[in-house]
Amino acid sequence: MFNLNHLKAISMAVLVFIPWLSSPFVQLTLAQTDADLFESKIRPIFVEKCQKCHGPDKQKAGLRLDHKAGWQNPGDRGAIIVPGKPDESLLLKVISYNDPLLKMPPDKKLSDQEINAIRLWVNQGAVDPRVLNDKKVGSISLDQAKAHWSFKPVQNNFDLKGLNSKPIDFFISQKLKEINLPLSPKADKRTLIRRLYYDITGLPPSYSQVINFLNDNSPNATEKVIDQLFSSSNFGENAGRRWLDLVRFADTAGENSDHPLPYAYKYRDYVIKSFNNNKPYDQFVQEQIAGDIYAAKNPTPSNSDQIIATGFLAIARRFGHEIEKEMHLTHEDAIDTLGKSLLGLTLGCARCHDHKYDPISAKDYYALYGILDSTRFPFPGCEPKQQPKDLVSIETSNLADPSIVALQKKIEKQKAELAKILVEEGVFIQSFLASIKTPVLLGKGVLKDGSEQDIATTAIEGNLPISVTNGQMIQLSLFPQKNHGMDSTKVEFVIQEVDGKRQLWNVKTDLIDVFLQSNPAKDSYGNLSVWAFFDCNNGLRLLPETLLDFQKNIGLNIWKNGDTPSVFVNASNNIINAWTKLPSRSFFMHPGQNGAVSLAWFSPIKGKISIQGNLKDVHPGGIDGVDWKLELFNANIQPSLNALTLLAEKKKSLNIELLKLQQSLPLPQLAYAVAEKPGKNIKLHLRGDPERLGEEVPRRWLEIFGSNDISNPSASGRKDLALWVTSPANPLTARVMVNRIWGHYFGKGIVKSSNDFGLRGEVPTHPELLDWLASEFIRSGWNIKHIHKLIVLSDAYQQSSTSSVIGLEKDTKNDFYWRMDKRRLKAEEIRDSLLFCAGDLDNTSGIKHPFPPEATWNFTQHNPFNANYDHNKRSVYLMVKRNSRHQFLGLFDGADPNTTTPLRQVTTVPTQALYFMNDPFFHLEAEKLATIAFAFREYEKIVNTLFQISLQRPPTESEKTIVLSLLNPKADKNLTVKDWASVARLLLASNEFVFLD
Amino acid sequence: MKKISRRSFVPSGVLGSILMPGIIDQLMASDNQTSSLHHPAKAKSVIFLFMSGGVSHVDSFDPKPKLISDHGKKVTFEHPETKNRPGYENIYLKKPDWKFSPRGKSGIEVSDLFPNVGNQIDEIALIRSMHTSHSNHYNATLGMHTGSFNFSRPSIGSWVSYGLGNMNKNLPSFLVIAPQMPYAGTQVWSSDFLPGEFQGTRVAPGNEPITNLIPRATSKEKQIQDLSALDAFNKIHLGTRMSDDILKARIKSFKTAFGMQSEMPSALDLSSESKNTLDLYGLSPGQKDGFGWQCLVARRLVERGVRFVELIHTGSSANWDSHGNMADHGVLAKQVDLPIAGLLKDLKMRGLMDDVLVVWTTEFGRTPFNNTADNKGREHHNWAFSSWLAGAGVKPGITFGKTDEYGIKPAENPVHIHDFHATILHLMGIDHERLTYRHAGRDYRLTDVHGRVVSDILS
Repeated sequence: MFNLNHLKAISMAVLVFIPWLSSPFVQLTLAQTDADLFESKIRPIFVEKCQKCHGPDKQKAGLRLDHKAGWQNPGDRGAIIVPGKPDESLLLKVISYNDPLLKMPPDKKLSDQEINAIRLWVNQGAVDPRVLNDKKVGSISLDQAKAHWSFKPVQNNFDLKGLNSKPIDFFISQKLKEINLPLSPKADKRTLIRRLYYDITGLPPSYSQVINFLNDNSPNATEKVIDQLFSSSNFGENAGRRWLDLVRFADTAGENSDHPLPYAYKYRDYVIKSFNNNKPYDQFVQEQIAGDIYAAKNPTPSNSDQIIATGFLAIARRFGHEIEKEMHLTHEDAIDTLGKSLLGLTLGCARCHDHKYDPISAKDYYALYGILDSTRFPFPGCEPKQQPKDLVSIETSNLADPSIVALQKKIEKQKAELAKILVEEGVFIQSFLASIKTPVLLGKGVLKDGSEQDIATTAIEGNLPISVTNGQMIQLSLFPQKNHGMDSTKVEFVIQEVDGKRQLWNVKTDLIDVFLQSNPAKDSYGNLSVWAFFDCNNGLRLLPETLLDFQKNIGLNIWKNGDTPSVFVNASNNIINAWTKLPSRSFFMHPGQNGAVSLAWFSPIKGKISIQGNLKDVHPGGIDGVDWKLELFNANIQPSLNALTLLAEKKKSLNIELLKLQQSLPLPQLAYAVAEKPGKNIKLHLRGDPERLGEEVPRRWLEIFGSNDISNPSASGRKDLALWVTSPANPLTARVMVNRIWGHYFGKGIVKSSNDFGLRGEVPTHPELLDWLASEFIRSGWNIKHIHKLIVLSDAYQQSSTSSVIGLEKDTKNDFYWRMDKRRLKAEEIRDSLLFCAGDLDNTSGIKHPFPPEATWNFTQHNPFNANYDHNKRSVYLMVKRNSRHQFLGLFDGADPNTTTPLRQVTTVPTQALYFMNDPFFHLEAEKLATIAFAFREYEKIVNTLFQISLQRPPTESEKTIVLSLLNPKADKNLTVKDWASVARLLLASNEFVFLD
Repeated sequence: MKKISRRSFVPSGVLGSILMPGIIDQLMASDNQTSSLHHPAKAKSVIFLFMSGGVSHVDSFDPKPKLISDHGKKVTFEHPETKNRPGYENIYLKKPDWKFSPRGKSGIEVSDLFPNVGNQIDEIALIRSMHTSHSNHYNATLGMHTGSFNFSRPSIGSWVSYGLGNMNKNLPSFLVIAPQMPYAGTQVWSSDFLPGEFQGTRVAPGNEPITNLIPRATSKEKQIQDLSALDAFNKIHLGTRMSDDILKARIKSFKTAFGMQSEMPSALDLSSESKNTLDLYGLSPGQKDGFGWQCLVARRLVERGVRFVELIHTGSSANWDSHGNMADHGVLAKQVDLPIAGLLKDLKMRGLMDDVLVVWTTEFGRTPFNNTADNKGREHHNWAFSSWLAGAGVKPGITFGKTDEYGIKPAENPVHIHDFHATILHLMGIDHERLTYRHAGRDYRLTDVHGRVVSDILS
């Protein structure tokens, strides 16, 4: 029996008999103060029925009903309310249509319940807390907003003493009385256990589990199964998947090239684990908004989960080409998701202007925006900047270990040293650049995508060959062709002395085999610093870093600065297949995103030279190629180069030491999570345009909930936000969540617009039930499983889905819950069930996806990330892309990872039927199921096994006939697995398999 | 509302079967469809030709003599693609690579890039003052398809399907023939918050143009046997449950899918097309790819009552994005010019120009300038480009709107993509301000809060 002890009685000021909660066997009592009566009944009547003509906009007959002084002020016919004396009050006459002159409201008489409530209110002295308030929140009046059901406090003073049914059933039955229908009978046991398994775990029961249940006649047989299912890790996977729908979870960033998020899976696993551990909902939400702040207060290896939890914010979608430029859209995504998923409010609508229907102003929006803007979001990478950064390290080792502390001190010292050198180098580069005279242009050209071109040298002052003196520089620079890309270019470059010794400098023969030895490099005659490689972005800087055998490609050696620019060689005798095919024994250059890379030759001679060369784009299909330029610098630059070389050497050795030190630190574990930034208010974006700024908006909570300021202006304010959202006084958070849990089981919420509790959302079909569940949720310590269990234990949930003519007539949409609604399995449930029936399901927890290593990323809008990683684990562990949906999940109405999905759509389209007719995976799983059954040899046994595994029941006689029409053992004595597969397909494609009663 | 039936001219590829009579009788039925929504429709179907990458207007449909005479002249303004870009401190006008000449009776000038389409100019209403709000492929492609430059929203094909339903229950109402993925991926044909039945179904040239279309059963008889058994099985299940629309709908979906299995290949099977027709599209017998194939299949699909057929040329790479060399435009135009002209001629010969709206567009134009006058390529240019409409309800042989003397900005009657969308919907009998869908507490439209029907190009 349901435990009612916790439903504590309360001392009651006034007992009000609420007619629509009346019951022949129990009197539901609501303790109400006078103010409660006004708030719950009277204010809404005034707002909805009167104030249109007697409010701030119009004052017909000189009367206002939107504040107390308004009705106290005598109108055309004197005072309309005499407190304590309803019979002397004109108001009562008029609304009862008893006044010969006036009947109000004119279009439709109030209901008897409403009139009685007003009578009671006047009788009790017409307590009215309202003062004249033309104040608006957003674009609606505060008064109107406060009258909206969802902004009123959750009713928590239910006294359900003496109730002889479960509270849920009490509320449902009360409402059903309005249409004179009872609940349907309890579903049969097989139906019930299938329903429980799918609804709680997302998986079907096995046949033996069904049999055990059918044979268990103990009174708590159902409860035993329920308890067992809630303690299975499959519960968290199922409940977690619903949460992931809501928070638009994805494993890619969603910007133009859809960069992978290799650590997002940790958030997915955190969500699943939280549901399995029954983490209190308030804590679950707090961690997702501000877990890093909680973790920072008390860092232990075990609280890394709190940091991972902020993935809720971190996985906000990224937009455009350079995602940092579109962060206002990412913040909108975060605010919109936070509003809809946690509060049932469409906060995102207030980005450009005050919300049109709800009490949310643009200032409210930018107050929250400031909080997010004071938060560091991880950088997932985008086309111009491929590699991720600002990921959060989650230390699993002991930070206090003295050897690690000492190591970290050393690292800091080394970094400081390096920074000094960089400053020195910067100063030097400035003077170096100043010493370079304007160069003489020797040639230039445009190398288009995939093409090849000779380096043709133009004559200088009509003279070829070119005269040079010692230390002068000839520079070949390759520029990115457009801002969206750059390309790998094979370079041949030969300088020959025209007379004299006829010496030869060939970039290939001089450099390929000794490539990584130094930059600058010597020539084959032993002259030092003849060749050099420069990053030309913002001056000239020697490429500082080396990579040997990049990605285990022997001979692919690189000089680079960061990712690009770079010069590299394939020193091997084979073609290397890296990001593109690199021919053997070749030299390559690759400009950077923002600037050129150059190859320089410093003349070791005084004399005349000729230059020959060839450029080839070896990465065709990237759309663009490169631009090139060949120049002669007349000054003697070599001395400066030597000084620069010295600095570069110093830098290199410091870098190597630093790298060694860093490598001896334990490997950091990373999370795609947010972190604190210095707190800062931001200015309102006029009409949502980040370029047009309005006044500064302080970071604070929504005005409708009291505009609380953040507690510490130098912090982001996320911790305050977490507490505001989860405050038991917040009227929305608990209601929104219990409404979702209800929706999980009934396919629709008590409030059907489960992401919109605002003025344009739906009103609850069962407001008292919603409030009872919400108050029970808070009272139980935000106990999620408790609410789940209350629901599945109810008769309303356990009733049959059988329809009835009278039911359909009275309530076609089943808003009163006179039966259970049938539902189609969700995309994940279909795939998991197919794997399950084929004996193919790997029912172990998730894994990291095998994304390519970050260093190799080069995703563009032309060639975005678009891999698929399939496996036989549950579908919740499939990799989710934002820009190209998983084909199966898309086909069966899976969640859209670009926006919050409160409830799945169910569409029935022929392309789904094609799946069950022709899909190779479907055929394969059916054949595996047939193989399992085929092991039983005998016709009858095989048929039985197929039915038992797929539908958890034996076949009926008429179904046997259908099987016989497909496979007749008399006509064909040698039936094979392939033959039986057609029966397996029939069962796996059947409506019974795909729909749940 | 009037129901129309295209049954008369849809040759059925499905033969009757005694095993599954129930399947056949519903095959050609068309329901839930309407010929117009808000006002009488001019067009029943749309063929939407999308040139991916950005077609240069000044090299194709927008002649600019001054651009030739002022070639190499320095110009100064802040452009989204050249602003703060290294190497683009100075920009210079760059003349077109193709010669323009007057075509047809209307004498509208089209360049030698599109000689065949040029010859059909008397069928076309050419808009020379198109503009859009983003200079990036991804965003501009999304904008041209959904009206939204950043967020996922339903595609125009989904909106049209949602508004008007389908005329052939054996085929999806919105088909996208795309050999490669476009920029922004599947979002381009996504139904987003509209019901899933309105999402575009991708057709790709190759052995299996639609996923799971090829019967895996050993024979047609075997498949009919399997489906009949499934049908009987599901009917027993249905019999024990009171009349349930969703169960019935799924039972029916197998019949439709079965129909699609033959209807779709029959739409894609060009073997019954005459040599003359194949020649119109530049196709050789047996050819199963190329833009000519896409165009001819599109005609066959609208004949079968598909509402919205989009043809993408080509995808997110090897496309019209000629930064490096405008000569690439020449190669690409050769792939589409003859087939598009062939499609227009073919539709006209078959009397389909009265029912079908043909739309030709791209995500943006290309800069009439570059960082050097002899730079061989052109950059992205969202300030101005050209698009055209032809067929049902469209005034033929006219131009609308003008760009300035160099083709840099619209100078007369600018047409934003929202206006373009409003006009297409209008021709389909839809008022773009009234075709709305309530989602997340808001009524959404294809044209957001914008859009104006370009009534001057309506016949």
